[in-house]
Formats: sequence, structure tokens, C-alpha cells
Amino acid sequence: MRFPSPFSVLLLIAVMLSGCQREVDEELSNAQLELTITHQSGGAPLQLGTPYTNGLGETFTINTFKYYLSNLALVNGNNVVTIPDTYFLVDDETDSTKTIKVQVPAGTYTGLRMLLGVDSTRNVSGAQTGALDPVQDMFWTWNTGYIMAKLEGSSPLSSAPNNRIQYHIGGFAGTNSSLRTVTINFPAPVQVERTMQVSLIAEIMRWFDAVHPLPIAQTAVSMTPGPLAAQYADNYSKMFRLNSVLIP
Amino acid sequence: MKLRLTILSLMVLVLISTIGVQACRKKEMEVPKGPTPVSFDIPQGFPKPEYDFAGNPLTKEGIELGKKLFYDGILSADGNFPCASCHQQFAAFATFDHDLSHGFNDAFTTRNAPGMFNLAWRKEFHHDGGILNLETQPLAPITAKNEMAETVDNVVRKLRASTTYPPLFAAAFGDAEINSQRMLKALAQFVVTMVSANSKYDKVKRGAASFTQFEQAGYTVFQSKCATCHQEPFFTDGSFRNNGIGLNPFLKDGGRIRITGNAADSMKFLVPSLRNVALTFPYMHDGRFTSLQQSIEHYRSGIKQTPNLDPSLQLGIALTNSDIVNLTAFLKTLTDSSFINDKRFAP
Ligand code: HEC
Ligand code: HEC
Repeated sequence: MRFPSPFSVLLLIAVMLSGCQREVDEELSNAQLELTITHQSGGAPLQLGTPYTNGLGETFTINTFKYYLSNLALVNGNNVVTIPDTYFLVDDETDSTKTIKVQVPAGTYTGLRMLLGVDSTRNVSGAQTGALDPVQDMFWTWNTGYIMAKLEGSSPLSSAPNNRIQYHIGGFAGTNSSLRTVTINFPAPVQVERTMQVSLIAEIMRWFDAVHPLPIAQTAVSMTPGPLAAQYADNYSKMFRLNSVLIP
Repeated sequence: MKLRLTILSLMVLVLISTIGVQACRKKEMEVPKGPTPVSFDIPQGFPKPEYDFAGNPLTKEGIELGKKLFYDGILSADGNFPCASCHQQFAAFATFDHDLSHGFNDAFTTRNAPGMFNLAWRKEFHHDGGILNLETQPLAPITAKNEMAETVDNVVRKLRASTTYPPLFAAAFGDAEINSQRMLKALAQFVVTMVSANSKYDKVKRGAASFTQFEQAGYTVFQSKCATCHQEPFFTDGSFRNNGIGLNPFLKDGGRIRITGNAADSMKFLVPSLRNVALTFPYMHDGRFTSLQQSIEHYRSGIKQTPNLDPSLQLGIALTNSDIVNLTAFLKTLTDSSFINDKRFAP
């Protein structure tokens, strides 16, 4: 009778240990991305409740500004490393939501990609929790789907009750989808071993005119998916720009 | 010598592998004894369900919790409007004998409450198909001002503050954490088990009963004149159609257009299942017809020429008086009395 060779012994051990593979995968995401978003209005920090004038010359005040960021990914040329299960609700009122920390694999990256909104799959996947919990008040109940971005306030140009302005932008299917992919390119490739700090600026003025001029006087309220909502999404998808990338 | 070395390495191997296996197994053993799994049986002749059971495995405790929630007024603002106030088992979970149902503050719903069964095979819910997942469906009645008039936040708060619910959530989900996801998954577990597939019609299909002469004649008419839309085995093809009933001047409900914003969808409604139809009167999205005869007569003489009227109904459906009698007899064979008497669905 032959006894097992050292090689087959090693093989056996490898097979026995492979049952615990998952943790090894998680350990690969050994660096951290810290994404900070600063909301601005006309280049100055956004203050809720303060009157501003948009690029179309219309005065308005904001009291709610929230949106979803999801499917974060780091890009290196043609390589895209998608970070699984990343769903964040950024709410201007809550500072802690403006800093997002996720584990990422160490490596060299040329940019950051994110989905502005919640991907179509999660819109229809049943009851969710965390940022996607319906208690966040960002889910339409009678017409399934997430409100991808919400801007509320008032403007003397609005003919809605109490001069309200109310934009609930959503829709995830077909030509009226409000989902937009935002890609932020770094000025130079960044090598990340431990931590990478990416700081973005989101300029609220872009909401009204970045691509399509959408005067408040014409539309003060938009609450359903459709061509108009898609135009707002075109606009606000242009609100982000890179402030800095740091390797501390 | 060589032999001894190999024996030694073998012993090392055994030791390492037991540690390895132990390390993996330990995690499995740490999981507390969980809820009792329940399997979902697919009736003969029914296709694969649409509902994602893998994402919400049925358990005895989960279903029980869902049932408790379904029958509990705690989900409504004033405690008076549990799901079951509008969805009554003896009416196959429609609202018995009501065109519109009553909700919070003496308000009426804007549509007729449909029966609830075979939801596992559905992709879209409500008369306009606006809801795309069974788990998120309860958010609509819970938050509607004219139904349960609550907020999800407050419902979760009330459940957390109660003494009865934390142990029930723990039994169903392993720990006492209460959140909207668990509440919705439990409700889904309960309502998805409501399967109706034991009517006389089903028994005939299985060879366990036979139709009377009238029922058989009705079935033949049905297959040639109704089944394009009301397709077996669910008695709906899941499409949205304008069956010519015309706009209700009070409710002004355009149906599917409300969801798609597309003019071509105006006046289209989800083709309803006709299972248990003898129990779910009154009929149509607004409950305008009180009897089956009236509903069938509509197809013969009541079709209104409105935009998007289904092409197959342009001239109405030619039916003799005896066709109508026979169709009615056939539709009554779709009543599943074991379903409406099933203790599993009773409070
Ligand atoms: C005030 C009455 C009322 C209450 C309370 C109510 N419903 Fe309903 N339900 C309705 C009406 C009316 C509809 C049809 C809605 C539509 O088509 O717009 C409906 C539709 C449904 C449907 C879809 C059926 C189909 O065939 O598409 C389901 C499932 C359902 N309800 C479950 C529930 C659950 C679960 C609850 C409790 C959380 C509940 N309902 C509470 C009146 C009610
Ligand atoms: C072109 C498609 C189509 C055909 C053909 C059709 N129906 Fe319908 N039927 C519908 C639609 C759509 C509704 C729902 C309308 C609404 O909700 O307002 C409906 C509703 C009904 C209802 C009311 C069910 C309920 O629970 O409210 C009955 C009963 C019915 N049909 C019977 C029949 C019979 C019997 C025939 C054949 C004589 C038939 N239908 C042919 C599309 C069709």
C-alpha cells in the first residue's frame, strides 16, 4: 500500500480550507475610500432656508435636499472595480451622510464612478433596509420606485400652494429613467494602499440649468417619472466636480 | 524510517484538517436554532412562481407573524383598519359586497378591493399594475390617507413599543430587531401562502369531479370568447386592457396611464383573475357591476367605444341568453370553498 505523497497532503489541506474562502475575499478589500461631499450654492456652502438666485434669475429657498448615490466603483483605465452593496442617502440636513466610507481593494486608480440614484434591480427587489428603507421617505408607495433625488423649498415664482417648490425625481425604466452615472476623473493616477480621501463639490445651482433651462416659474412641482424628471436628472447629474484627492 | 515519517505526516494531516473543518463548522454551530422552514407547494398545472422565495424563505414563525400583522389594527392610524378590514376571507379576501371600501376618517378607497390569492405568480399588483413587488405592496395601504393613514416610521415605532411583537419578530428572524423590512417580509410570507387551486374547476381538471351540462357548455363558451384575456390557469394573462366599461365620471380613473403617463394606456386595467369571482362582487375596478350576469351582459351589449378599446371587443361579444346562463354557471365553479375556510388564513 502506498502512502499519500506530500503533494496530495497539501492538496487535501487546500480542499479542506477552501470551505472558508469568503473571508479571504473580504480581506482583499483592505483599503478605505473616504468620500466627502460638500454642497454649495453659487460657490458658497449651501445653507438651508437662505434665499438664493438661480442662473435663470429666479429667487428660491431650499429646505430639503437629498439624493441617492449607489454602485460606487473605482476606475483604472478600462478596469472598473465595483464595490458591492454600496447604497447611500446623502441628506444635506445630516452632516454624517456627507461622508461615505467604504472598503476598497488597494490599487492604482484613475477615477471614481457612481450611480446617481438606486439601480433598477433594487427598485423592484422587495423590502429593503438601511439607506433604502422606506422610512427614509424616498420610496413611492403606489408606483413602485425610489425617489432618486428630492429638492423642496419655496420660491415667489411658484404658483403652487404656499409658493412651494417640490421636485421628487425618480423613474428607473426605459427612456424616462432618471438614473445617471457620474464619473469623476482624478488629475493623475492615484496609488492607494491604506486610505484615499476624495472630496467632491455638489453645486445646487446646476439643478435648474446645467443642461436644460428649467425655470421655477414654469415648473415648481415635479413628482412623477417622465420626460421632465429625466431632464432634471440630466441637470443635477452635472452638479458634481472634484475638489481634491488625497492619500493621507 | 520512511514509513514512520509518512505516518507522522498523515497524523499531522488529520490534525490540520480537523482543525480546518472545525473552524468552518464552528460558525455553522453558532447560528441559533432558527425558525422552522415551510415549503411552498406548486399546485398541479401552475407554473414556477414569480415571487423570490430565496430572498425571503418561508418559515412557520414568519408566516404566523405575517398573519398577526395582517389582522392587527396597529398598522393603521386609529387602530380600526387592519388589512383584514378590507380583505375578508369569506369574500376570498376582497371587501364583501362593497364597490369601494371604507378607510380612515370615513374616507372611501378609490378602487374596488380585489380578492387576494395566487399572489406568488404575479408580477404586478393593483388595478393599474403600479406595484412591482409583493413585499412593497403594503406600503401603499399603510400610507394612504384614505386607507390606513399611517407612516412606516410610526408603524415600526408602535411595533417596537408593543409587548407582543418583539418576541414574535425574534421567533421569525432570530432576534428581536423590528424594522420595516422584517415587517414587510413577514406580511409577504403570510399573503404569499394564500393559494387557491381547489375549486370545482380544478377538481375537474384533476379528474376528481365533473362539470354539469350547463357548466361544461359555459366552459366551452368561455374558452372561445373570454380566455384570450382571462387565460387559464389564473384566468388572467397579466395584460392591461380596455374592456370597454368607459370612464367612471366620479372617480375619473384612467387606470394604467397613471403609472406610465402614456396616452395609449388610458382606460386600460389589469385583467383580473376570475378565480373565486362569485365571491368578489361587486365587479370591475370601481365595483360598478353588482352581479356576474351584469358583468357578462356588459360584453354583449354594454361596450363603450373609448380610445384604446381592445380590438377584440370593437363589436362586443356575441352571446345568447343561454350562453350567459351557462357562463355564469361555469364561473361559479371557480369558487374555492376550501380556500375561504382554510384555518391557516383565518385570524
Ligand atoms: C381601506 C381598505 C384597504 C386596506 C386597509 C388594505 N387594502 Fe389592500 N387593497 C385595497 C384596495 C382598494 C386595493 C386595490 C388598489 C388599487 O388597485 O389601486 C387593494 C389591493 C391590494 C393588493 C393587490 C391585489 C391585486 O390583485 O393586485 C394586495 C396584495 C393587498 N391589497 C394587500 C393588502 C395588505 C397586506 C394590507 C395591509 C397592510 C391591505 N391590503 C390593506 C383596499 C385595502
Ligand atoms: C379584451 C380582454 C377581455 C376579454 C375578451 C374579456 N375580459 Fe373580462 N375583463 C377584462 C378586463 C381588463 C377587466 C377589468 C376591468 C376593470 O377592472 O375595470 C375584466 C373584468 C371582468 C370581470 C370582473 C372581475 C372582477 O373581479 O371585477 C368579469 C366577471 C369578467 N371580466 C368576465 C369576462 C367574461 C365572462 C368574458 C367573456 C364573455 C370576458 N370577461 C372577456 C378584459 C377582458
